[in-house]
Amino acid sequence: MGFEMEQTDQLIMDTAHRLFADHCSAGVVNSAEMGTEPTKLMQAILEAGLPLAWVPEEAGGVGGSLALGFNLIRQAAGFALAAPLAETLVANRVLADSKLAVDESWAVLVSDGGALPMLTDGKVTGLVENAPMPPGVARLVAPVSDQGAVRIAVFAPDSAEIEHRESLAGEPRARVHWKEALPLQLSSALDDMSEDGLRQFCALVRACQIAGAMEKMNELTVTYVKERQQFGRALGKFQAIQHMVADIAGESALANAAVEQAVRELSAHPRPFGDSADSLLSIATAKVVASEAAGTVSRLAHQCHGAMGFSYEYPLQQYSRRIWSWREEYGSEFYWSERIGLAVAEELQSSAPGQTEGRVWDIVSR
Amino acid sequence: MSETIRFNFPAPVIDDSVNRLRREVRAFLHEEIRRGSFRPVTDCWCSGIDPDFSRKLGQRGWLGVTWPKQYGGQELSALHRYVITEELLVAGAPVHAHWIADRQSGPLILATGTEEMKRTLLPRIAAGECFVALGLSEPESGSDLASVRTRAHKVQGGWQITGTKLWSSGAQICQYMTVLARTSERDDKNRHEGLTQFLVPLDSPGVSVRGIRDMSGVEHFNESHFEKVFVPENAVLGSVGGGWKQITSELALERSGPERLLSTFVVLEKAFLQAAGSMAGHQAAVMGAMVARIRALRAMSLGVAALLEQGQYPEVEASLVKDLGTRFEQDIVERLREFWPIQLKQSYGDEFHYLLADSLLRQPSFTLRGGTNEVLKGIIARGMGLR
Repeated sequence: MGFEMEQTDQLIMDTAHRLFADHCSAGVVNSAEMGTEPTKLMQAILEAGLPLAWVPEEAGGVGGSLALGFNLIRQAAGFALAAPLAETLVANRVLADSKLAVDESWAVLVSDGGALPMLTDGKVTGLVENAPMPPGVARLVAPVSDQGAVRIAVFAPDSAEIEHRESLAGEPRARVHWKEALPLQLSSALDDMSEDGLRQFCALVRACQIAGAMEKMNELTVTYVKERQQFGRALGKFQAIQHMVADIAGESALANAAVEQAVRELSAHPRPFGDSADSLLSIATAKVVASEAAGTVSRLAHQCHGAMGFSYEYPLQQYSRRIWSWREEYGSEFYWSERIGLAVAEELQSSAPGQTEGRVWDIVSR
Repeated sequence: MSETIRFNFPAPVIDDSVNRLRREVRAFLHEEIRRGSFRPVTDCWCSGIDPDFSRKLGQRGWLGVTWPKQYGGQELSALHRYVITEELLVAGAPVHAHWIADRQSGPLILATGTEEMKRTLLPRIAAGECFVALGLSEPESGSDLASVRTRAHKVQGGWQITGTKLWSSGAQICQYMTVLARTSERDDKNRHEGLTQFLVPLDSPGVSVRGIRDMSGVEHFNESHFEKVFVPENAVLGSVGGGWKQITSELALERSGPERLLSTFVVLEKAFLQAAGSMAGHQAAVMGAMVARIRALRAMSLGVAALLEQGQYPEVEASLVKDLGTRFEQDIVERLREFWPIQLKQSYGDEFHYLLADSLLRQPSFTLRGGTNEVLKGIIARGMGLR
């Protein structure tokens, strides 16, 4: 299933699936939003070592492929996972890649795709508006800019002014403000990471989450229209409903194809947090297509569900609210499509005169 | 209980020979355009008819590439064929003459034809010298093909066919048509039974072909009338009465090719060249979004090709590609209008205007041909257990 993985990876996926199914029911997701921490779920995730999937074995991790991590993230999104697994996966990988210690607790990457906080004289100053950060998290992993070079700084939560907020879906988000804060740890300058490379990586994480959530929305919709009877027959027997379901399937499939292609592209690169022209196109494509699909799929899934889908108790809303916030994070479809348009135009402009014939296709098809 | 619905689109295995072939085709096309041997057109696989150009492709061995060598093929993979067709489409090359024979009729003959047909016809198709039209739709049968009225009666030594076929594009330059006809009385309980496909030479006595002008102004469509046309026993393709099954599997496999998303790429390519120098803001976002969608659709289409190579039968996935892809081909024209209004007929302007106007005038057919998108959505819904 999903991105090409190794056999051991499949075992990890199966373990994670059982764990999510056992501890992350729709009721748990709703309660978590209402303030009841899903302690069993959080504990089980840590005990299974899932947040270490992307950490190399020599650094104490699982040493899993990029495909494994992105598959976990997509699968977790299909449960509206009430835990920051995706965030911790990313933070731990960033720590490992910058030769900083990784431990077995929750950590989050305090970064929202905006400009990085600045490092001056060993102290960090800057504002991250929308960090995906729950209140209890112990370690803040922050990419910071040292005269343009990326370094990774690790902080305790008391290092910053933090205003806790909630995303549309009630997921924890925080406004984090450092004022000449001294990091607990600081990596050297990293050649393998760039501000845009980090932004791209996080955008692909969100695209995978959207794809995973939309698969679930498709599933919920198909199940609902098969069961729900109106006018003497199942809703799914009406052609108008069938066509909406076909459109949901199409948009969801298209997003899957785009994220799978991007994960393959990124896997072929030695530096997942560096940026390259090829990974930019693939990742931007994934985020554009997934974010566009989020609007269409949520609209149609709710239409098929009638008032039921609008109720808090029925699980559909947990997914629609998530994809509405995820599509905005780390660059919406509008941001990334502009990036693509500009990148293509720039390549055309830099082509020698007379060499522009077929150039757009060359860019699209590579 | 809910069941998991996951559509996967694996990456096809692209080896050096595929990439080399792509470069060869690309270089050939650039040279042909430079020499002015053809003028790039939009929707070229349906609007660009040039038998000489098709012959050139045949001479290079680029038609019927997947077929056995003994029948004129190259025994290459479906992916080799995929990259050839892709490069031809994006260049706007005039490929309609051979398109149907290369894509559909050749493989049909290979699967169901007599040994004599394979030996005599396939090498000529691969050489770009023999073209075949589709005889499916009729005046009273569009999406509902099971309702065809063309009738074939058993006669001494063969069959006698009477009826009218509609919308067979390119029939005026084709030597053959694959004709779907009823060979036994219609039974309303089993309406898909009793249909048979025939390979009919269009120079047979009793055949008349009349051009039909379409809304874009060209006469590529035809109405072909068959008046007591005799064909010998060995003109039957496959089994007598088993035509429906053949046709549906034929159509399923042709749904997801690159011609279902790249019909209007040539106009997008030109639009980028026009705008590159001043690309910014909103226009960059609108045009970049189109690049994103094409890239995603292409990943899907290639994924279906990979599934087919693995021996799977991805009917639903192929239908998804065609539904999304053809709607997007139309969308390209609508979105470009924002920056380049389209008001005058094709010929009143430069090359770019020609492509824009022609794309707009041709796009209504994209979501109709080869099975309307509504039929496709029905197939998708059935695949998800709703029908």
